[in-house]
Amino acid sequence: MRTRTRYLPIEATAEGMVLAEAVKDRYQRTLLPSGSALTLENLQQLQAHEVEFICVTFVDERSPEEIATHAAATARTVVDIFQSADMTQPAVAALFNQVLMYRSA
Amino acid sequence: MTHTLTQQTVLDTRDALPAFPQVVLQILNTLDDPDASLSLLTRQVETDAVIAARVLSLCNRAATQGPGRGPVDDVFTALQLVGMARVREVAMTIQLGDFLKDFVPGKNMAGFWSHSLACAVCGLELAHYTQAEVGADTSLITCLLHDVGQLWLLRFAPDGLQAAKEMAVRDDVEIDVAERAVFGVDHGTVGAWLAAAWGLSAGICKGIQHHHQPEPGLPEPLVAVAHVSEVLSHALNLSPLRHNRVRGISAAACARLDLDWGEDSQSLFGRIDARSRHAFAPYPQSDDDTMG
Repeated sequence: MRTRTRYLPIEATAEGMVLAEAVKDRYQRTLLPSGSALTLENLQQLQAHEVEFICVTFVDERSPEEIATHAAATARTVVDIFQSADMTQPAVAALFNQVLMYRSA
Repeated sequence: MTHTLTQQTVLDTRDALPAFPQVVLQILNTLDDPDASLSLLTRQVETDAVIAARVLSLCNRAATQGPGRGPVDDVFTALQLVGMARVREVAMTIQLGDFLKDFVPGKNMAGFWSHSLACAVCGLELAHYTQAEVGADTSLITCLLHDVGQLWLLRFAPDGLQAAKEMAVRDDVEIDVAERAVFGVDHGTVGAWLAAAWGLSAGICKGIQHHHQPEPGLPEPLVAVAHVSEVLSHALNLSPLRHNRVRGISAAACARLDLDWGEDSQSLFGRIDARSRHAFAPYPQSDDDTMG
């Protein structure tokens, strides 16, 4: 079973997803530890604490073809965004590589 | 050069511009005050019905999720529940959104606002990420206002701005380079002149002024935040209403914020991406009349 780990806005999360990072409140107190499975109840608690996003792991239900298609499309977008960039500059090249990696994941 | 702009020319138009929101200045002025209390922020929020309503709405959305909680109908209680930092963020974003929306009468500012908001999300996350001493609130203000000079040019020098846009495309140069060729100054400098006149801090003014070419403004951290936020908002394609392009990024600005674009960037990008999707949720997506 393939899984993905992503930061998601709280409104895009769902029951069954598993926290990949602990969720803390504004005082850095842990609200939910890493590894917790999300339930309707604890999702409501996170919303009550005004949490905007969380890092979760969830089952990737995409087929290998869909994953490849997605990766190719996002790579084209990133290349297009950086098409005028000077890739001989180390900072630019490093940023490009990280954005490409992020969008392809 | 077709339209030489001076600081006096820009400041002479101030009476024609919407008034800068005083609540923003009041909130900024209390950030360094250790005695600034919940009561003071409550009074500041209560002076604006729109902000007060938004804070109560936020709070009651949260309150309905908790067991045994009833609706909250006073700002003081709402502030205690939602937190001062979040309320300051909401108050300043609402106020500056309205301010910028009214800056150029008759123009749709949706694209401009989406870019400003995207930069602000980057600025907030960078403020949390970096070891440099930079506050979330000043990062937010700097990033929301970083392109305000562009609005001034659109309103008071539209022909020159159009010439600069055409030059940028024709000569394959950045818009700030083309603006300096046309006006003698770029939109960063125009924005910084306005920001100083509105009473914003020297750091915020520097951030606005140097967001395209940060080196002269460093080591001020808000300069680095504004520049990197501008680049990241494009790199991550955060604003769906803009044709996002990255031409470069200042290595010195990255170094100022401890950014080496290693693997920990993935976490930073994820936080920015998720937070921006959350931030854009209340706003309709439609194109606008400002430049990309």
